[in-house]
This record gives sequence, structure tokens and C-alpha cells, in this order.
Amino acid sequence: MGVLIYLYLVPTLYLLFKIWKWVDEKRDKECYIIDYQGYKPTDDRMVSTEMSGGMVARNKNLGLNEYKFLLKAIVSSGIGEQTYAPRVMFSGGYENPTLQDEISEMDEFFQDTIEKLLSRSGISPAEIDILVVNISMFSAIPSLSARIINHYKMREDIKVFNLTAMGCSASVISVDVVQNIFKTYKNKIALIVTSESLSPNWYTGNDKSMILTNCLFRSGGCVILLSNKRSLKHRAMFKLKCLVRTHHGSRDDSFECCVQREDDQGRLGIHLDKNLPKAATRAFIDNLRVISPKILPIRELLRFALILFVRKIINNFQKRSDKSKAKAGINFRTGVEHFCIHTGGKAVIDGIGFSLDLSEADLEPARMTLHRFGNTSASSLWYVLAYMEAKKRLKKGDRVFMISFGAGFKCNSCLWEVVRDLDGNNGGNVWKDFIDSYPPENLANPFMEKYGWIQNEDDPTSFKLPDEYKHFV
Amino acid sequence: MPQVLPDFSNSVKLKYVKLGYRYLVNHILCLLLIPIMVAILVELLRLGPDEILSLWNSLHFDLVQILCSSFVIIFVSTVYFMSKPRTIYLVDYTCYKPPVTCRVPFSTFMEHSRLNLKNNPKSVEFQMRILERSGLGEETCLPPACHYIPPTPTMEASRGEAELVIFSAMDSLFNKTGLKPKDIDILIVNCSLFSPTPSLSAMVINKYKLRSNIKSFNLSGMGCSAGLISIDLARDILQVHPNSNAVVVSTEIITPNYYQGNERAMLLPNCLFRMGGAAILLSNRRSESWRAKYRLVHVVRTHKGADDKAFRCVFEEEDKEGKVGISLSKDLMSIAGEALKSNITTIGPLVLPASEQLLFLVTLIGRKIFNPKWKPYIPDFKEAFEHFCIHAGGRAVIDELQKNLQLSAEHVEASRMTLHRYGNTSSSSLWYELSYIEAKGRMKKGDRVWQIAFGSGFKCNSAVWKCNKSIKTPTDGPWIDCIDRYPVHIPEIVKL
Repeated sequence: MGVLIYLYLVPTLYLLFKIWKWVDEKRDKECYIIDYQGYKPTDDRMVSTEMSGGMVARNKNLGLNEYKFLLKAIVSSGIGEQTYAPRVMFSGGYENPTLQDEISEMDEFFQDTIEKLLSRSGISPAEIDILVVNISMFSAIPSLSARIINHYKMREDIKVFNLTAMGCSASVISVDVVQNIFKTYKNKIALIVTSESLSPNWYTGNDKSMILTNCLFRSGGCVILLSNKRSLKHRAMFKLKCLVRTHHGSRDDSFECCVQREDDQGRLGIHLDKNLPKAATRAFIDNLRVISPKILPIRELLRFALILFVRKIINNFQKRSDKSKAKAGINFRTGVEHFCIHTGGKAVIDGIGFSLDLSEADLEPARMTLHRFGNTSASSLWYVLAYMEAKKRLKKGDRVFMISFGAGFKCNSCLWEVVRDLDGNNGGNVWKDFIDSYPPENLANPFMEKYGWIQNEDDPTSFKLPDEYKHFV
Repeated sequence: MPQVLPDFSNSVKLKYVKLGYRYLVNHILCLLLIPIMVAILVELLRLGPDEILSLWNSLHFDLVQILCSSFVIIFVSTVYFMSKPRTIYLVDYTCYKPPVTCRVPFSTFMEHSRLNLKNNPKSVEFQMRILERSGLGEETCLPPACHYIPPTPTMEASRGEAELVIFSAMDSLFNKTGLKPKDIDILIVNCSLFSPTPSLSAMVINKYKLRSNIKSFNLSGMGCSAGLISIDLARDILQVHPNSNAVVVSTEIITPNYYQGNERAMLLPNCLFRMGGAAILLSNRRSESWRAKYRLVHVVRTHKGADDKAFRCVFEEEDKEGKVGISLSKDLMSIAGEALKSNITTIGPLVLPASEQLLFLVTLIGRKIFNPKWKPYIPDFKEAFEHFCIHAGGRAVIDELQKNLQLSAEHVEASRMTLHRYGNTSSSSLWYELSYIEAKGRMKKGDRVWQIAFGSGFKCNSAVWKCNKSIKTPTDGPWIDCIDRYPVHIPEIVKL
């Protein structure tokens, strides 16, 4: 009898041990944002619309049509008077940027932000286990990740990844990398560094589709500290709930809509195709299709399914053939309280607002970010998040939905849950000095009248720049 | 620098003692079992057959108990097998074989060099001296754009080279493994020096119409060790996603980085870097285990960026004329040695057999406590691995590692021959070397391979693979037409 008891005891104990280990493993896999720090460049790098127009005018290769198009783009872009440009724009070296310009632009960014973030959170660089750097167009050797490790003397066994060329959606991809690593390794701290390198990428030719990038992109960046350590959970700000990536590279028209190439004169620039908004919408719808079941409550999903069903039946009966741009019909506000939209441009924000049926209050953070900081590429999402935090909108339990687009064509989105009430007073918020002046009464560009005259010029051959603009050329 | 043990191994008796010691320690558990079994047998014999029968009957076995116990046993064994960490299999891999038209024999290289640098005969002479001592052969290849005089590094040409290398490698990978593009769940592309927008990974997704929910990553700027970093990332992601396939593409695009100035330290990479690429299929599906070639055992990464000298070792900068190139510092070898030492101290405990570790521990304790004059014991890595793939960074790197790890000429043959036939193809060179070992028919089931690579920053990464099934001599691959000529003797200096 005794033997039998032992026979049962040993496997039972083993089973219990395995169950405990399994439960223990399931914990500590969550990805938390402990803190983040946006980059606010120094005020001597501010560029107004006038300056921006002037910089464009400096390009001697432009004719009237190009000039018209670009000024219109600048004025109606939704970008305000206080965005930031890289230092080469002011020193005049933007046509022949040196490697040193590129490196010092990045050095200025990360030395400022990482310093602030680490000192505020009390975490030393030697404690960082994972470093993910995503800067699309920086290509020096050694990589920026190695520069950061060298500057902060990080550990030898650090897991470092340097992602490039993934466009404006790269910070969500970095979060994806970190999230996957957190599921395998416990008790780790990760640092994501996201920004864009503008110095070496100023386009000097006259292809309209390529100069657009000169007008829209601005300097900015963000560093984010994440962890899955139990001991840091009480200090965490956000928890990652789900992340979905959609890649439409298999479609040729989506792939070709944002391509870096040489123009007819051999000058390098990024070509933005007219089909970009359509490709973006397609990718966005595909992405929503996958993520909606994960973030919306079942009641809403059932209601939507019912509406679709009813619509189909009605369409069958009435044989309507109008392809009117129907709204999605699905109410995202049942699952999401705040929307963090990539500030790709006014058209992007308007487009998303229309498809998701969002109110002005929902779109306000994105519009204000576009106005104050411009399109800072991958880091724009974090400026929008900082705005919401500064406006004290984020309460415990709220869910924030981040949407971003990238070249290729990708649409990546993720959902964060706010872990504790955030009052924006943690000292590092980029908006804290001027949040009270937002939103401003009038978002219209003050140079609308000044540059409006150009819409009336028609004859390219007799076009002469008025005297008051001569000082820019 | 590690000291070499005095030559006791000449003494035969000691050699056998060492062998016996190794066997004892490595099989200690089995050896302990023998006396236990002998004791049980003796006990049973003493009892006699009658007593054994009564013992058997006293265990009341009825149906319920038998069922319960068998259920418990089966359940527990299932849990045990299911809870093992997922094995990552390397199903297969392909290396890009450049066309004959891209070959750059010494004569072509020197002629082009003389024409491109006609104002600087000293630089031409420098390049000639490097080429003589480089260990490269006459069949290495450069991309088409570099054959022009002067080279034409446009973005079109760079994209062309990327498409040529990556698509050829992927096409042959699809052919070899029967993989369908729609089955790829994870795609990682690493190319250090060229990252156009949209990324190379997006280019691959576009060409092969991969799925829209693919997890793609584009790593760059990580130097010659980026291949192993991609494998590390693939492993981390495969641990989280069951039943997935991952494709890793490692390459280096030379076209935009062909240095066109005169600074000597920057002309060095021109002499060594050559066109090449590899595509690797990894999987964690159990169904692949029957045909997978290797199993991933460990990946160890070491980053020496905190040390300033190591950081500045491989540096991209502008020369006096503003032309961009990569300069290699003179301390490269010693820094590589340091990085290797760090990597070894991490990987040693993971792979060395118990006997080596015990010896190392005993000598360490002895040195600390008893007598600091004891010679430090360098673990014998030849005990842990059958094959070594050392990144073919250059002749000096291979020589240095051979000395540090006390490897024989046969161990480093794969690296030297890859350097000779393909040049320094950066992150993909490890795969050409592995292919060489397979082509020579040396890879048997159970063999362990150690891949070591260095990169800018300064990094030292290594991966350990275990051969899953005996590999027949391949009928395709980068070595089929020339394997019979190898190994060749590479002289110290080839007179040009």
C-alpha cells in the first residue's frame, strides 16, 4: 500500500510544481510604459511659415507652378508657426550636409532626452537590458544604438536592435519588438529611442512630389522607458493591451506610393504619390478589421454585424448602386476613450476622423500636435499622448488607441490602458510650458492673405518674385 | 593574452588520464546508476523466487487503480513534453552565388584602382599591398555598378544590387525548401549600410506578395555581426508565436559604399568587402524536425560600446575632401580579442562539458586561494564543438582567433576558404562557411557548430547550432563547382 501512495505522490507533486511554474510564467509578461520623454528642441531652431516659405524659395530650380503648389501646401498643412527644423537649415549647409551635421543632430536629441528620462525615473543606464532605436534615415557607422551605448556606458550583454527605413510607423514596430522580448524574458527594462534624421535628407531638386517632404517634416523625437518588472508596476503609466500590424507591401500601388529615389537630375528625395491617401485608407481598414474584435466590447460588435446585415438586405432589395462614401457605422468610442493619431498631415487627421466618426474633441490632440510640432514622423504619436496627459484627460482605466502609417505601405496600431490617473505634472511633459494657450481660437495660417496672391498668378514666363520676397532668395 | 599550457600532452600517460577524467565526469549520473542496479539485483537474488511472488501479490492491483495510475503517468509525461521550451529549427538556408561576370580578379581590381586613383600612386600601391596579403582569391565578386570607371553608386544601382542578391537567394530558398511565400510569418532583413525607404523588408514583401499580417523587421547599421542579431530576434519572436516560420535575409550592399576618395585607412574596406547574401529559414514547427538541418542551441551577444576605444574601432567618417568612408583603427585585433574573451566567458558555462568546467573552476579557486602562480586553465573549446565558423573578416581576424582558441588548421579551413573564394561578404559569410563544411561532407548528426561574428560598435556575437540529421553532400549551393579544388594553400603574400 505504501508503494502505491508513493507512486501517486511523486507525479502529483510534479504536476502541482508544473502548474505553479506555468502560472508564475504567465505573470510578468505585461509590457508597461514606466515613463517617456518627448524632445523639445531649443527655440533658436524654430521655423515659422514665412521662414519655411523662404527656405523653399531659396531653391533656384523652382518655377511658378511648383512654387504655387508648395506655398499652398505649406499654408494649408495645418502646421503652425513654432515648429522646429534641424540646425543645418539655419547655417545654410542644408544643400551639402556633412556626416557631422547628421551625427550632431542626433547627439543633440538623445543626449537631452535620455538624460532627462533616466534622471527622472531614477534608473541608471547600466540597468537597461534592451535598447531599440528606430530612426528611419540615419545611416552612419557605428549605428546610433552603438553611439548611445558608448555615451551612457551601458552593459555588455544588452540586447540592442537598430531598426531603419520603416517609416512613420516605426515606433509601434519597436514596441512590438519589446513586447515580444518581454514575453520570453522576465524582469527586464527596455528603452525605445525614436526620432527622424532630417539634416541629410533635404531635397534640392524641383520635382513637386519630392519637395513636399521638405515642407512637412519637422524635428522631434521621443524616448520611452518600458518594463515588465513587478517592482516597477506601481510607477507605470500605461499597459499595452494589444498591437496589430498590417503590411500592404504585396500590392504594387501601395508599395510605390512612398519611395526614396533619384529624380531626373539624379538628386535623391522621397517621392510621395497621389495615391497615398487611398493606400492609407485601404491599409487602415484592413488593420481595423483585425484590431476591432480585440478592443471593442461584444455588444458593439454584434450591433455592427447586425447593421451590416441589414444594410446588405436593403441594398439587395433596392439595388442601389451609388458608391457613396459610407461611414464605418461602428462606434469606436465604446472601446476607446482617446485617439492618438499619427500627425501625417491635415488630410490624414481629417480622413481618420471621418472614417471613425470622431468629434473635434477627439481630434484635438492630433491637430494641436501638428500645429505646434509639425510632422515629426515616428515620434508624433508620443507628442499627441503628451498633449492628452498635459490636458489632464487621462484617467485610470482609460484606453488610448494609437494609429500610425508608414512607407511600404504599413498601418500599425496598438491599444494602451492607463494604469493610474495622470496629471501631466511629472516635470518632463513637452507641453507643460504652453499647454494653457491650447487650443488657440484660430488655427488658420496667418500667412494665408500674404501668400494668397500667388493663386492669382497664371503666367509662368512673366512671373517675377515680388521685392519683399527677394531677401529670402 | 591567454598563456598556453606547457606541453604535457606529449606525455601519453597523462593524455589517457585526462581522457579518463573527462569520461568520468561527463557520464557521472549513468555511472552512479550502475552500483545501484547491482545492489538491487543482489537483493532480488537473495530473496528467492517465492518471496518475490508474494511481494508481487501483495500489491493489490485492481482495475481502478491501474487506470488512475496510468492516467496520471500519461498526463504527467504530456505536461513534461509540452512544457519544454520551443526548439528553433534551421530548416535550410541558401547562399547567393554571384554570376561570373561580376568577378574581380586581382588584375581587374588593380587596373580599376590605377585608373580611379590616378592622381595618387601611393594609394594604389597601398591597395596592392593589402590585396597581396588579404587572403582573397581571384574569384570574388563586386556588384555591376562598381565595375564602372569611376563607379556609379546611384540609388537605382544600389536597389538593383539589393534585388539581385536578395531575390536570387530567396528564390533558391523557396525552391530548396518548398516553402510558399504565404507561409512566412516573420521576415527579418539585415543590411548594414543601405536602408532605402521603403525598407528592404518591404521590398521583399512586395516582390513575393507576402501576407499582410507578417511581422517584418529591418535591421541596419549593426555591422558584420548583424546576421546573428537577426537570428536572436527571430528566436525571441518564435518563442512567443507557436507554429511559425521565420525567414532571415542577411546581406551587405556594396554599391553605395565604395569609397572613392584617397584616404588610406578608408580604402581598406574596398579591398576586402565583396558581394554576397544569404537567406535562412527558421521554424518552430514540430513537423519540420524531420527535415531541419540544425537546431539552435544558444545565441550570446556581447556589446563593448561602453569602451571608447572599442567604439571608435570601425567608424564611418568624412575624409579631408568630404568623401564618406569607413575607417578601421589599428587596434582592431586587440579589441576583437577582448570582445571575444567577454563572449567566451558567457558562452563557456553553457556549452563546455562538465569536465572542462570543473577543471577551470578548480584552477580558478586554486589560483585565488592557494597559489596565484598556477597557470590559468584555458578550457578546450574543441571539446565543446566539432566545427567552427569564424566570420571571414580578414586574414588577421582568422589568424588571431585561431591563436586565441588554439584551433587547428582544419577547424579554421572553412573560414579561410570562404575568404578566398567569396571575400568578406559581411553578415552572410558565416553561412558560406557552413555551406563549405557541408559540401566537404564533414557534417554529421549531433555535431555542434559555433558561429562567431564581430561587428562595428564593437560587438561580438556567437551562435551555437546542433546538427539535426546527417547532411548528404549537397547538389546545389555556392560550392558545388569548386569544392574539389579546395582547400587551397593560401600563401602569406601573393606577388602581384
